[in-house]
Amino acid sequence: MTAAAPRPAQQTRRSLRTETLEARPVNLDGFVEEWPEKGLVAMESDFDPQPSVRVEDGVITELDGRSRADFDFMDSFIADHAIDVATTEASMALPSVQIARMLIDPGVSRAEVIAVTRGLTPAKVLDVVKLMNVVEIMQGMQKMRARRTPANQAHSTSARDNPLQVAVDAAEGALRGFAELETTLGVVRYAPLVAIALQVGGQVGRGGVLTQCALEEATELELGMRGITAYAETISIYGTESVFVDGDDTPWSKTFLASAYASRGIKMRFTSGTGSEVQMGNAEGRSMLYLEIRCILMAKGAGVQGLQNGSISCIGVPGAVPGGIRAVAAENLVASMMDLECASGNDQSFSHSAMRRTARMLPQLLPGTDFVCSGYSAVPNSDNMFAGSNFDTDDYDDWNTIQRDLQVDGGLRHVREPEILAVRAKAARVLQALFEYLELPRITDDEVEAATYANSSNDYPFRDVLADLTGAQQVMDRGVTGLDLVRGLEATGFHDVAENLLTVLRQRVSGDLLQTAAVLTADFTPLSAINDANDYAGPGTGYRLQGERWEELKKLRHVTSATDPETEVD
Amino acid sequence: MTTLDAPAERTLTLRETGPATRGTRPDEVVIAVSPAFGDPFTQTIVGVPHAEVLRQLMAGIEEQGVGVRVVRVWGTADLAAVSHIAARLSGSGVSVGLLSRGTAMIHQKDLPRLSNLELFPQSPLLDAPVFRAIGSNAAQYAKGQSPQPVPTRNDQMARPRWQAKAALLHLKEFECIRADAGPVELEVTISR
Repeated sequence: MTAAAPRPAQQTRRSLRTETLEARPVNLDGFVEEWPEKGLVAMESDFDPQPSVRVEDGVITELDGRSRADFDFMDSFIADHAIDVATTEASMALPSVQIARMLIDPGVSRAEVIAVTRGLTPAKVLDVVKLMNVVEIMQGMQKMRARRTPANQAHSTSARDNPLQVAVDAAEGALRGFAELETTLGVVRYAPLVAIALQVGGQVGRGGVLTQCALEEATELELGMRGITAYAETISIYGTESVFVDGDDTPWSKTFLASAYASRGIKMRFTSGTGSEVQMGNAEGRSMLYLEIRCILMAKGAGVQGLQNGSISCIGVPGAVPGGIRAVAAENLVASMMDLECASGNDQSFSHSAMRRTARMLPQLLPGTDFVCSGYSAVPNSDNMFAGSNFDTDDYDDWNTIQRDLQVDGGLRHVREPEILAVRAKAARVLQALFEYLELPRITDDEVEAATYANSSNDYPFRDVLADLTGAQQVMDRGVTGLDLVRGLEATGFHDVAENLLTVLRQRVSGDLLQTAAVLTADFTPLSAINDANDYAGPGTGYRLQGERWEELKKLRHVTSATDPETEVD
Repeated sequence: MTTLDAPAERTLTLRETGPATRGTRPDEVVIAVSPAFGDPFTQTIVGVPHAEVLRQLMAGIEEQGVGVRVVRVWGTADLAAVSHIAARLSGSGVSVGLLSRGTAMIHQKDLPRLSNLELFPQSPLLDAPVFRAIGSNAAQYAKGQSPQPVPTRNDQMARPRWQAKAALLHLKEFECIRADAGPVELEVTISR
């Protein structure tokens, strides 16, 4: 059963159909049998605890069958910081089926649901979502998502860590509609240059785009504090004490890190996801979803505004067991029903099958989430330094067509090539000028030209990597900040980009981006659960793809004109 | 990525000869295998026979004129821990740690446990030539040289194909841990 033996060569004659099916991409994916005793099970396990709570003198003394004396540090943190002690006994007394029905009943408001969910224990939350099929999970997500307007997030990285590529692909991604852009590195020392490129390129594509650079935690925080990035996301949390300790962390240390960001007005969210604990061999016999629910409650207890979840880099684990993608949809819903922003995954290579890749994202795209992908690859997957995403630049037209077919808003739009070339060229020139201003290694006119028309990192002239790394170190040594970038942009004649970046940086003074699910519109209006609260209450309510935005999404690369069928709509 | 064709059948016999001891030769590399290596598991996640893995690693080391000892670590299946224990047993301070599924690491005794000289995290991408190169590099570190790191490979589709199986193999390996047993010296016999 667990033998790693290659399948024995078939001696008997095989059907031609079997041969055809064997050659289908889906059969390159890995699938495994469940092993609930070890936690290799999505969400239906006899080894998960039963829901229970006991409160004495305003303190939770029993949680899911465990008394306080036996709490591990996850139990303690959740009992003391995540669960509302005043309402927990009443919420826990409600039958799970009643709570599940509240989640999908348009007659029950989001606020009414949250008044109940804030008092639930992890096992009770699991008990509720186990009653829901994927359509009901989507119905729940449609109502429980924090922000009314859905959005999307992109990865902009380079296999060569070429800052110029990151800048122009950030610009194109922003123009296509991504509200947030994320980068990371192959060679970590390149980070300051690539983070600057992302920040500046993004503002060329569309003012108000937020950027982050996924790094080791101390450096990531420093770049944020300097204003070279605008938010942070890759602060990982885990569902068992043993896995937390393996990473030399605790819920309290992660919370301290979160408060460091908040102290500077910087948006941040945690990251977690099903499968990580069993992947690391320490699931303590609990199902993947039960452990993820503990993470979600831990994030809530820490006071962060949001969470990136949806299995993320462990997607191959839930993706390989029965019902695993249902569990992934459920974990997104649980983040939303805990009143957190949910950046809902779809950000890692998931399947060899295009059909499976699409099916995996429908539970997020159809109801809409705060960020449908928490990393759609805005570069070809060969350049994706997060090890590949579920969607990349090759899929842009498919994504736009699916939005148009189903009349759903996945955050992107088709943009005509001349506009794309214009922002790519401008982003390249802006970075060229800024590097010169900051006395960083030169970007040549040939590079600018290549960047304008490039697809992947292979289409760019090689850079002098050692000179770039020296320059990157100088950025850190000289204490370059976001304001220096603004000054450089202004001094080199790119007033509009300088203005855009300054306006993004000013948000950390107002603190508006600390609100749940905050993004900035193109005119720098913060949209969050405060001023753009999800008000879904059944058919005809909530966010509807209509009006100007719908007209925009009707456009594709090739649409035959109704007035002159010999031409295409421009 | 496809399953590698198994080369001609070789049998691997690992015989315990006693507790592992600290080496005194400054020109040796210690290879440490994890609890399930060779028994009950016989091949890596992509079907490279364990006999072939050890043969290539040992040949890579010996080609550099460096000695090699093989030990089994019973107390943990954590690659960093396996490798670091071996590094501390190694006369040169350099070790190669190996999990049953093929994941490998070159370690050095003076580095922190969670650091390493070279890490090969994507077990599905490790084949016989890579194992030989790992052995060769470990031996060069043992001689005080600074070899070019073995080129790391990356396959973004390794996740959908292998991640869950890797988790399963990891769980099975965990079951073979003997928490209170110390590392033991192994006598390696590879037939043919």
